[in-house]
Order: sequence, then C-alpha cells, then structure tokens
Amino acid sequence: MSDTQNQNNQVVTSETENNETRFLRFKLSYRIEHWIFITSFSILAVTGLVQKFSGAGISEFIVQALGGIENTRLVHHYAATITMFVALYHVGALFYRLYVLGYRWSMLPWIDDVKAAIGWLRYNFGLRKSPPQEGRYTFGEKFEYWAVVWGTMVMAITGYMMWNPISTTRMLPGEFIPAAKAAHGWEAILAVLAIIIWHFYNVFIRFFNKSMYIGYIDEEEMLEDHPLELADIKAGLASIQLDPKEKARRKRIFWPVYIVIAAIMLAGIYFFISYEETAIATVPPAEDVEVFVPLTPTPLPTPLPTPTPLPTAEDITWESSIAPLFEQKCATCHNSDNGMGGLDLSSYESALAGGNSGPGIVPGDPEASQIIIVQAAGGHPGQVTDDELEAITCWIAEGAPEQ
Amino acid sequence: MKLKRTITIFGLLLLVIAGMFVVTGEVSAQIPPPPSPGIDNQDCLTCHDIPDQRMTLPSGEILFITVKGDSYDASVHGMGGYACVQCHTDITEYPHRELEATTLREFTITMNQSCARCHKEKFDATLDSVHGQALDKGNVEAAVCTDCHGAHNVGPANEPRTRIPHTCERCHSEIYKRYEHSVHGEALIGEGNPDVPTCIDCHGVHNVSGPSTSESFHLSSPLLCAECHADEELMGKYGISTDVFDTYISDFHGTTILFESEIPGQETNKPVCIDCHGVHDMRMVNDPESSVMKENLLTTCQKCHPDANANFPSSWLGHYIPDRNVYPAVFYIETFYKIVIPVMVVGMLIFVISDFIRRYIIGRKERQHV
Repeated sequence: MSDTQNQNNQVVTSETENNETRFLRFKLSYRIEHWIFITSFSILAVTGLVQKFSGAGISEFIVQALGGIENTRLVHHYAATITMFVALYHVGALFYRLYVLGYRWSMLPWIDDVKAAIGWLRYNFGLRKSPPQEGRYTFGEKFEYWAVVWGTMVMAITGYMMWNPISTTRMLPGEFIPAAKAAHGWEAILAVLAIIIWHFYNVFIRFFNKSMYIGYIDEEEMLEDHPLELADIKAGLASIQLDPKEKARRKRIFWPVYIVIAAIMLAGIYFFISYEETAIATVPPAEDVEVFVPLTPTPLPTPLPTPTPLPTAEDITWESSIAPLFEQKCATCHNSDNGMGGLDLSSYESALAGGNSGPGIVPGDPEASQIIIVQAAGGHPGQVTDDELEAITCWIAEGAPEQ
Repeated sequence: MKLKRTITIFGLLLLVIAGMFVVTGEVSAQIPPPPSPGIDNQDCLTCHDIPDQRMTLPSGEILFITVKGDSYDASVHGMGGYACVQCHTDITEYPHRELEATTLREFTITMNQSCARCHKEKFDATLDSVHGQALDKGNVEAAVCTDCHGAHNVGPANEPRTRIPHTCERCHSEIYKRYEHSVHGEALIGEGNPDVPTCIDCHGVHNVSGPSTSESFHLSSPLLCAECHADEELMGKYGISTDVFDTYISDFHGTTILFESEIPGQETNKPVCIDCHGVHDMRMVNDPESSVMKENLLTTCQKCHPDANANFPSSWLGHYIPDRNVYPAVFYIETFYKIVIPVMVVGMLIFVISDFIRRYIIGRKERQHV
C-alpha cells in the first residue's frame, strides 16, 4: 500500500493484490456524506412526491403508513433539515480541501467537458474511433454534481417560501408562494428523473461502481472513465508534498472564517425551520350561530272564545249559562240519545239525577256533585276551562237555580 | 343428485329471503290492520270534530283534542283511507285509557312511536340523526317526525320545495336567517329555483347530520359541495366554473383535506369550502358581503393566519388555473419545467441509450474475438 499525493494534491491510495491494483476514489468522509445525502434525498422524494401526486392510490397508502399527512410533512421537514446540514458540511469540507489542502478545483466545469460530451456522443454513434479522455471527474459527474447544487438551492429557496409564507409575503407578492410550490414540485420530478436515468444508469447498469461502498475502483474502470487521472498517478506526478507550516497557516485562517460562516448558516437553518407560526393550530368553528332558536310563539290552535260571556255568580242560572255551556262541551256524549255513563245533561232534571256514578248536581253541595268531582280531576274528554268550572261550582253552591 | 337438490333448495331459500327484502323495502305497502274491534274514523270524529276541545295535562299544559275531519281527509293518510286508530293504537274503547303522558311534549314523543309502524326505515334513520341523538341525551325539544311533517295534516313530502327551509326554520330560525340571504337561499326562496340546495340536500332528510353528529362531516363537506359544483351541466346553466373542486384539491389546503378526510375523527387546521365561503350564508363572489370577495379575503385568511398581511391572500390561486393573464409567474414556471424536463430527459436518454448500445456491440465483438 502506498500513500501518495497526486498532482491535484488529492490523496490517492492504491493497493495491489494478486497483480490487481485498485485506486481509492472516495475517502470514508465522502462516503458517509453521500449516504446521509442519499437517505435525506430519498425521504424528501417520497414524502414530497406523495403530496404532489395526492390523488394516486399509492400516495394515499404511503401517507397513511407514515401516520397521516401532517406527520408526512413533519418527516419531510426533518429530512430537509438534514439536507441543510449536509450542505453546511459540504461547503466547509469543500473549502477546506480547496484552500487548506490545496486540492485542484477538479469539479469546475470547463469547455473540455462540452468537448467530452460531444466526443462521447460521436463515439457512441460510431463517428469517432476512440472515446474522449477525461480526468478525475467526467463531464457526466460534473453535470450531476452541479445539477444537485442547483436543485438543492432551488429546493431550499422555494421550500423556505412554503415553510414561511407569511414572512415571504411581507417582502414579495403573494403569487410567489404558489410559484414556489410549482417550482418545488417540478424541480423534484426533474431531480428524481435525473437520478433514475442518469445516476442509476452510470453507477449500476453501465458497470457496478463500488466506490461509494468500498471507496475503491479497479484499474480497468480507472482506464475507461478517468484515464488522465490514472496517467498522472502512474507517471508519479501525483506526489507533491505540502509544506506543513503553510498548511498550519491556512488552517489558522480557514477555521475562524468557517466558524463564522457556519454560525451564520446555522442561524439561517434555525430561522428557516422555526421562524414562523404560519397558522393557528385549530380552525375556529366555521360558523358562530345559535342552533336551536325556535320561532316564538309556537303556533298552537287558538282557543275559541266562549260563546256567552260568563255572568257573575249571582245571576248564573241553568237557563242563562249552564245549559248552553253543557250543550257546547258535554252534549256530544251526555245527551238524551246515548247518554254515556247513564248521564244526560240536556235537561235540568236529568242533570240533577246524574248517571251511573251518582247525582250529577247536588244543589248547595258542589263537593258531592259528580260533575264537579269529574271535572276537577281534569283530563275529561269534554274538559271545561278553570273559569267555567269555577262558575259551575258557584252556581251549585248558590243552590243551582234553574231560572 | 343429492347435491343438485341441495343447491335447488338453497337457491329457493335465497329467492324467498330476497323476496322478503323486496316486500319490506316497500314501506308504505305494509299497512298493519286496524286493531280489533275496528273503530271507524266517524266514531272518533263524533266527539273529536267538536271545536275547541281540550284536556289539561298534569303539567298544566292544555292538550287540544279537536281534530278537523276535513283537514285530516286532505292529508296523505286521510286520502289513503287510514284509520285514526292505526296511529292511536292505545284507543280501543270508550272511555279511553288514561293518558300516561304528563306533559304535552311527552305526549307528542310517545305518539311519535306510531310512525315506526309503517315507516320503519325512515323512523330508524332518524334515530341516528342529530335529532335522535339529542333526544337520546334527554333533550325533549329535539324534533320528532310530527314536528316536521305535522300530525293529522301530514302533506306530501317536499311539496313545494320552498316549504323545506321554513320547516327547519321553526326550530333553527337563526340559521334560516343566514340561509335566506345566501346565494342558495335567495334563489330558492326568492325565485323558487329548484337547482339550488336547501337544508336537506346537505344535511340529509331523516338521518339529519351535521358537525355535531359526524366527526367527518366537516372534513368531507367539500364532496357535498362538489356534487353540484363539479356537475358541468348544472353549473353550465349559471356560467359557474366546475374547476373549483379540482383546484381546491391541488392546493395545499385541499391536498391536506383529501388525505385527512380518509381518517375518521381526524382533526385539521386546514379549511374546507365553507370555512372561507361561509356555512349557511355563502354568497356570490361579486357580492360585497361575500367573505371571499377580494376586499374581504384578507379578513377571511386572518381567521386562521392572524399574521397575514395584504400580500398574503394572493398566495391562494382563487380557484384559477394559472395562465398568461392570471398568476403569470406560476404559469411561466410551469411552462419552464414543462419544456426543461422533457428536454433533459430526452437528452439524458440519448446519452444513456447510445452508451448502452455501443457497450453492448463492443462487448459482443470482444466475445466473438475470444
């Protein structure tokens, strides 16, 4: 095993076993970063796309499996927060490598990459005999890297707008919110399609690239995809020593600057996720109205006026008041034809005689008169009113005069 | 052979059971015979046709026991020739059995059980309704059959349609006042327009439901609105967009509700149609009193988003589908991606497929070489 530093000052470890040399492509820190990013990206994709395609049955299933839409959104927000931390780390690690360790900006796209892209296309279509020669990062890898950078920025900005719509609309027109939602959703589809078509083809199908698992790729793969980098390593151009004093000086500058930047970014993340209480937690009742408010007064049949005004106690007689009252209230049943209960109230004599229960009227003694006893109990089919009952009682007490 | 016979018997049994369902389904066909001895309506009317007859109940309330014969004859039951004693089953002789009810309301509720004898299905539906549940909890004011239909003067149901809100008004006068001035109420009560919904179209007829009976009533109410508002033929008559439901569902609020309405008892802080448009008093969007009128929208938003400012309401697309004139920023972003995504996908596929084929051809050549 030999540890060297190549022309780009990037650490290249190669080991040879059974005459096969393999080359370290991604150190452990790169791989850990990538796996965290894979996890947060996948969670974001699943929990986001189910919201974009809310009508689909599978979306319904996933959302319920995640414990409902509010939970799904919470998971989406957690994954977004992780992604922001990945970005925070990535910016720091990148500038540490570029500035402190002096790595070359090998990820920067250049005109050579356009040439390489056209070259590959011509080669694939048989218009060119040999494939283009590329270095540490191929045009395809650069395309993907910058697509991720672009996509993450779009998602972060539009995500912020949706996460904090009220503070956004303090500065921007309201229309930016649905515009952000549209961009967020479509960008997600673009990102997922790019991962499936481009990344999955290149790392799984083209040949199975194990560098993100074990860190190494073999010489044959190096020769096919990164021949210029391989040539540098083989030519021994890879080993340039970095002056330890210079490295220490750069570190002294890097760390304070990064700590400040990281603190600002951390504050930004905190602001991003906790700034706004967008809405109240429970919707107020849609309507504030008294439910049961009956119309008053409840319409009931109006009692008919008593046909003859009630005379005063002294001049109540059978003929003047009692007979007409009995005719109206009682005669239906207690008449001379059927005389229910043996009672006939159609004449003075028969009323005095009473029916099966006893004398109807006992002059001078209302309490012994069946008419008073029955009516006072209430509930009689031909019930007289309280006033009428009082009048009858008076009349009997006065001796029940006929005339 | 034995199996065949078993199948035949089983099939016949099924037919009989199915037949029973058909028969019981026809509620009005099931007229129980009058109790024996048969008592003719005329026997009852001999006494009960006399005006202004009343009994005083133990509570001191007056029970009017006069029945207008001609009014009963004009009712659906009178026209059908039904006998008094088919409802008043406790009346078998004279003098009548003493009343058990001590109050007027108790008498009504007791008598109401009679309806179940013929209208079992509808009667049972009322038991689960908001009224049935209230009655169960001891609220005797809750409406029973006769409160809406009348007792002796039951008329044909829903005729005329304009009568329906007035029936509900008798107990829900405050809600009626709001409905009366809603876009629906004005059309029904004012113009007699049969297309608009009245109380029972949203709340149901016998199984009357509302937010207090059904946990999902609020959450699933957009589907109620969509029944009419997504109906192109009906909305076409009035030039109203049928996109309202789809645009709501594709918005943040609607998407949430769509997922949440599947879960019984789910609580939400997202609005449904009525939360913005009004429950009983929804108005035309160009009505100055409409809660979703542009000038009033901020106030409506602030019900849930107290910090919302003047820019905020236009973050809701207002049921519009964005185009060059309405919400152009949304339209152009969508257009951008509708071009970029296919271009990117096709571009990537050209690389990927050509690479795949080239590698396949080279691989085959190498194998042939070996």
